[in-house]
Amino acid sequence: MSLQTAHNHLCQCSIVPRDVLKRFSEDIKLTEKERKCFSDTALIDGELRKLRAQAGKLTNIINTLSLAPVVIAGTPAITVANCNHSQTLPGTPISTPGSSTDLTIKRAYDETKAVAQFYKNVFGRNSIDNAGMTLGSSVHYGTNYNNAFWNGMRMAYGDGDGNIFIDFTQSTDVICHELTHGVTQHTLQLAYSNEAGGLNESLSDVFGSMFRQWRLDQMVNQADWLIGHDIMGPGATARHFTCLRDMANPGAVHCLAPQPSHFSEYKPGMDPHYSSGIANFAFYKIAMAIGGKSWEKAGQIWYKAMVDFKPSPNMKMKSFANRTRKLTASMYPANAALRTAVDAGWLAVGL
Amino acid sequence: MGLIKIEKIGGLGGFGGPHLKSYGERDVAELLLADRTALNLLFSRRKGKLLKLPNNMQIRDGFNYRISRETEAGIETIVVPESMVPAALIACIKDSIE
Repeated sequence: MSLQTAHNHLCQCSIVPRDVLKRFSEDIKLTEKERKCFSDTALIDGELRKLRAQAGKLTNIINTLSLAPVVIAGTPAITVANCNHSQTLPGTPISTPGSSTDLTIKRAYDETKAVAQFYKNVFGRNSIDNAGMTLGSSVHYGTNYNNAFWNGMRMAYGDGDGNIFIDFTQSTDVICHELTHGVTQHTLQLAYSNEAGGLNESLSDVFGSMFRQWRLDQMVNQADWLIGHDIMGPGATARHFTCLRDMANPGAVHCLAPQPSHFSEYKPGMDPHYSSGIANFAFYKIAMAIGGKSWEKAGQIWYKAMVDFKPSPNMKMKSFANRTRKLTASMYPANAALRTAVDAGWLAVGL
Repeated sequence: MGLIKIEKIGGLGGFGGPHLKSYGERDVAELLLADRTALNLLFSRRKGKLLKLPNNMQIRDGFNYRISRETEAGIETIVVPESMVPAALIACIKDSIE
């Protein structure tokens, strides 16, 4: 094994099983230097696992005791790091990302700041943890990397391959989508498979789309309800794909990832990016029936359903639907039309 | 051992769906010893199932890889998160629209 390969392993080993690392660290076919590399990684990996497990436990305890976490800042600090096309997180910190000449860095900074303002102004939430947690983003992740993700602690954005996708920071809904995974992690703690996984993804799409509409100050009937419209590359648009997903028409031919829109189409084990179409379509139907701006009423109900309850890692879609029905009645007791809209929206998707 | 086939699935775009695809293949003999060892360990521990990580350690919108190899007993397949896949295997895949 070359040192470069060993180094690559070192950089990527955050969830490699410890027994694999241990075995490499004792493999006499490897050089002493390479074995040390693996034993060092095992050591770091072990400590990181403990740290993350502890952070998860702390979140659970705080939620169980209904204690408010210590607020570290009135508004969250926004940081951006540059991976310089490596897959090592977090990358090199950028001292003043808001004035960077690298547009990806500047955009990641500006839009993350705007997402923080969106959550604060519209929902009264102070960052991901509601306690001013610093919002860290890493850009230029990997080479031609066709993805963006939330790793449990920060957002990471690839530049795209320039054909199917372009720079993932180009879509405001993508930035809020990733950040909302963090909010879900600190609230409902939804799992990432089966119905809970679909709800997890849907919450990210719903808040991502609302954020994009909020940035454009759009009424629900002015919005396009597309997810990932602004990251479509020339190869995708040449084939008439205009988005990853369309909340208004989840199965449309212009979607690169067409989704089911009715619960009867749901299958256990389905990729959450597909099963999310069911709850996405319900939100769209409800927001359209209510009218106005999506974040004013429908968004408020969704937000309360996400943050005002104990964690429900294995929540079913039906439970979430019923929760929003109850919340609508308690939040807007005099608004019968709203209750009808929420009920009809869920019934339309079979829930 | 022959050919290793690899497919990227998941991610924000939902690779592995009807349009977004990503495939590649690599002769095992071309892999470095460390990569072959890592792969063998993954197959021996994860036969036929997705690696189960604790909920708070799963990457949201992260990629997984479906890796298959032919053995005397038939085709074996595993599904593992991106960080567990040797870089040499990831390098052989190509994203496309179908």
